[in-house]
Amino acid sequence: MPQDKTIKQVSFLTGSVSWVLLLVNVLFLARQGHMGEANAASPYLNNLLSVIFILSVFLYQRQYVQIQRSEEFTSPLWGLFVKGGLGAYLCLLLHLGYPGLNEHWVNSPYLLDIFYQVLFGLLVYFLGKAFYTWRQFILYHKTKEVQSQWKWFEILVYLSLLVPLLDVTYMNHVFLILDLALLLGYSLYMSVHQRWIAFLSLDKKWACIFLLTAILASVVLFANFLFLFADSSELVVDYTDNPFILIALAFVFLYALASLLVSLFSLPTSRVFEQRNADLLSFQRLSHTIQQGQSEDEVYKILFESAIKATGADAAWLEIGELTHLDTSHTSGDPIDSEVQMFVRALVKRIHEEDKTTLDSVYVNGDLNLIPGFQDLNSPYNSLLLVPLVSPKRRYGYLYLLLELEQGFDPDTISVVQSFANQTVLTIENLRLMQESLQNERYKEELKIASLVQDRLNPKTFPTDTWFDISTYSQAAKEVGGDFYDYLQLSKSRIAIIIGDVSGKGISAAFHMAQMKGIFHGLMQQDLLPDEFMVQANSALSRCLERTSFITSSLYIIDYEMQGVSFARAGHCHTLYYNSMIEDTFYFQTEGLGLGIVRDASYAKRIHRLHYDYNPNDVMVIYTDGIVEARNTRQDEYGEERLKYMLSQTYHLEAEDIKSAIINDVNDFSSDILHDDQTLLVIKFKQRQPII
Amino acid sequence: MKIKHTITDNTITISLDGELDASSSVLLDEELSNPSIMMFGKILVDCKNLNYISSAGLGVFISHLQRFEDAQIKLIFFNMQEKVRNVFEILGLDLLMTIVSSYEEAVTIAND
Repeated sequence: MPQDKTIKQVSFLTGSVSWVLLLVNVLFLARQGHMGEANAASPYLNNLLSVIFILSVFLYQRQYVQIQRSEEFTSPLWGLFVKGGLGAYLCLLLHLGYPGLNEHWVNSPYLLDIFYQVLFGLLVYFLGKAFYTWRQFILYHKTKEVQSQWKWFEILVYLSLLVPLLDVTYMNHVFLILDLALLLGYSLYMSVHQRWIAFLSLDKKWACIFLLTAILASVVLFANFLFLFADSSELVVDYTDNPFILIALAFVFLYALASLLVSLFSLPTSRVFEQRNADLLSFQRLSHTIQQGQSEDEVYKILFESAIKATGADAAWLEIGELTHLDTSHTSGDPIDSEVQMFVRALVKRIHEEDKTTLDSVYVNGDLNLIPGFQDLNSPYNSLLLVPLVSPKRRYGYLYLLLELEQGFDPDTISVVQSFANQTVLTIENLRLMQESLQNERYKEELKIASLVQDRLNPKTFPTDTWFDISTYSQAAKEVGGDFYDYLQLSKSRIAIIIGDVSGKGISAAFHMAQMKGIFHGLMQQDLLPDEFMVQANSALSRCLERTSFITSSLYIIDYEMQGVSFARAGHCHTLYYNSMIEDTFYFQTEGLGLGIVRDASYAKRIHRLHYDYNPNDVMVIYTDGIVEARNTRQDEYGEERLKYMLSQTYHLEAEDIKSAIINDVNDFSSDILHDDQTLLVIKFKQRQPII
Repeated sequence: MKIKHTITDNTITISLDGELDASSSVLLDEELSNPSIMMFGKILVDCKNLNYISSAGLGVFISHLQRFEDAQIKLIFFNMQEKVRNVFEILGLDLLMTIVSSYEEAVTIAND
């Protein structure tokens, strides 16, 4: 942000200028002391300039040190030590070199004052940097409370700058001392916020301990120099009178000390935390494998590696089904001794056979050597952990983990491995579900194509002719169905119309339907009579239809020149007819067995042909059982009677309108629920017209 | 669909209760495919509580018809509801299979 940049630039400028001015003022004051002459310098100016300097340095650091978001803690500590802490060692050098320097080289009474100002400058810089580095650590993973605590702490510390500004000697005011003591207590309390240490790994902790020690040493050195010259008569200023410096120094010291102690004491537990973190990561990896589209093998591999990591197993193998899927040789280890493997397998098998309920539970044995026969194997292993990979539906396999330690698996580790196994099973099942749904998607696509193909098999238009009017309707209950109809123009004045229904629904029915159409077109080239056709079709179908399937069909041959229709019904629904001469609606009651039921020559006895002379305006309704067996919510069937009634009410309409009326009525009855394929053909005969 | 059977001497009576559709006809097929059924000379099918029969259900009877005939086992249906009988009739099965109205009649025919 540009604003931050301005603050940084301005504070850098005021800091540098105020420090130089401070130095000048101090030197003038010292000159006053030495010469006894009055000049432009004044002691109060010291206070003002030092406050400006302190404020500038602190504000600069406030902008410079950003609030921590990453888990990197050693580099800010390193920065603090190098940029701030080394100042203390510089002062040490100056201090050691001062007597010699004073005697042999410069020998000026002002040297000590200059030295003291350099110390002050370095100290304030170090304090500012340390103060805001600690803020960064305190506010890591902050809560609302910690944030507001810090805000007040900062305000109170800054307020203490008022003391030198107002030129008050705080030692003379009890309440001020009390306030400062309270502030000291507050900084002690702020030093408790050591959350960041929990996120350090063991190596990082060691690095932090080292750096913190160095920083503490810097603080001690600084404090040492500061108090060395306190109340010194040789100096004209004394910064120990500035409570801000003292408070900041105390806080920096306390926090560094607290961090050092906490790091030290958390050293022994950090392994546990690291393990927990690793377990958590493994868990995440396992659950993320689905999104990354990984295979089952990869999931097993992650489980295997995670489990070995979590338990520190010396040898392990993963059995999927009956086979060893992975063993330690797959993960940069040695393959397990096959004799030991055999022995352990036999042991597990024995246990499972003794008690079937143990099949799906974890098995732990901490003293394998107590089992007779195991010692002879000379195996180094003593503990066994067996974790099953099971879901409520199926058992995938077992994970075997071996340790050289006796009683090497504690309950905590076991439950971690168990949750790995559970997560693995979940992941595997999700993977399979996903693959299945992809497969289903593909099937659906193919069914859609099948549905389209089948739709094209049923003719949409009949030859438009002046002899009769025909209207068709066809609806499959599933994507593909077993209903069919077709026509074939036999000669100029004769047309064959077939309707049929294959038993069953779906794909197999659709196949047989297509077959039946082929038979129709093939056989009718020979211009067979309807009953002859049925006999031949039955014989053809007997060779290809499975035993439980059959086909019902009716074949009509309409001769418009002769004004007659002859037909045969092979187990298909009765034909509904309206005779306009006698003004009657009725069903043709003919006998005829379905195709594929009797598969020998005796079928010829079971099929009959009927001839009927039609009159103009007669109506013939042919349909499949999906129409008359349509059901309403009470499971009543639509029935032949209602269909007959519908025709008796609509016979005077055009074929198209009769069809629509019937279909609407059927749909009303069944509330548009389709149980079976429905097909309906309405044929209305017309006046005989001369052939042109 | 519930399928029960009672056995008396040489006769097995299978009673069908419910709807014989595509899924339940599998059960019936298992029942009729059981080799032990061939030990009986007569199979009576009680259709009193058979409310509906689909083409798949008919297919099961049709597929076993020839086998029973070859083994000279009599297959007799009785107590059939009107609408179910209508389905048999439309398909022409009434001329191929023996369908009678009562159990007594079925027993009489079976013992002929």
